[in-house]
Amino acid sequence: MPRPSLRSRTLRRIKKKIPGGASVIHYLKREPSKAKCAVCKKELHGVPSRRPSRMKGLASTKKVPSRMFGGNLCPSCLKVKLKARVREKSVG
Amino acid sequence: MIWMIEVGRVCLKTAGREAGRYCVVVKRVDENFVMITGPRELTSVKRRRCNIDHLEPLMEALSIKSDATDSEVLKAYQQANLVKKLGLAPGKPAGEKAEPKAERKEKPEESKKAERKKPGKERKPAKKASPKKKAK
Repeated sequence: MPRPSLRSRTLRRIKKKIPGGASVIHYLKREPSKAKCAVCKKELHGVPSRRPSRMKGLASTKKVPSRMFGGNLCPSCLKVKLKARVREKSVG
Repeated sequence: MIWMIEVGRVCLKTAGREAGRYCVVVKRVDENFVMITGPRELTSVKRRRCNIDHLEPLMEALSIKSDATDSEVLKAYQQANLVKKLGLAPGKPAGEKAEPKAERKEKPEESKKAERKKPGKERKPAKKASPKKKAK
């Protein structure tokens, strides 16, 4: 039996074969959930979901799309919002 | 929609990294594509070919010839008084970015540490700059 803190499922389990042939369980922290569009709730591309320590090592251009509202809205929802903004002004 | 996108029409880009920025149609390439320009000094949209599905036309239009240069487009902007109306800053590419750069140059001159360590002089402002970008 593993020690009590490892018995819950808060930690992710990975089975590894070690060189001696025995199989061992490794306990890893779970990764955060994937980024989703604030409007349509679809998963966003180009936004990695890593633990903060691993996010720190990434370049700023690899964390989020360089588009307006990148990492917050999906491109199709952004398009709808921008068009709505232009059309409001032209009518009023 | 198609007829509204003509030479001189001011548009908003709705796709890609330039989404949310204004541009002007300079030339019609074919049924689906037009040449656009910010110009770059004004709105940081470079001169490029663009699908008309990625443009949202405004009511405003400039009086320019087909294939006009950037400087001609800039003049037409000022004649039409659109620079203030659209909230653009002339002479500063991507208005916000231009200002912090000037600050960075001033800081190393003031601080005594930069004067003492000559080899580290070039690297230091770059390190200071990175947290600012993240904060934005």
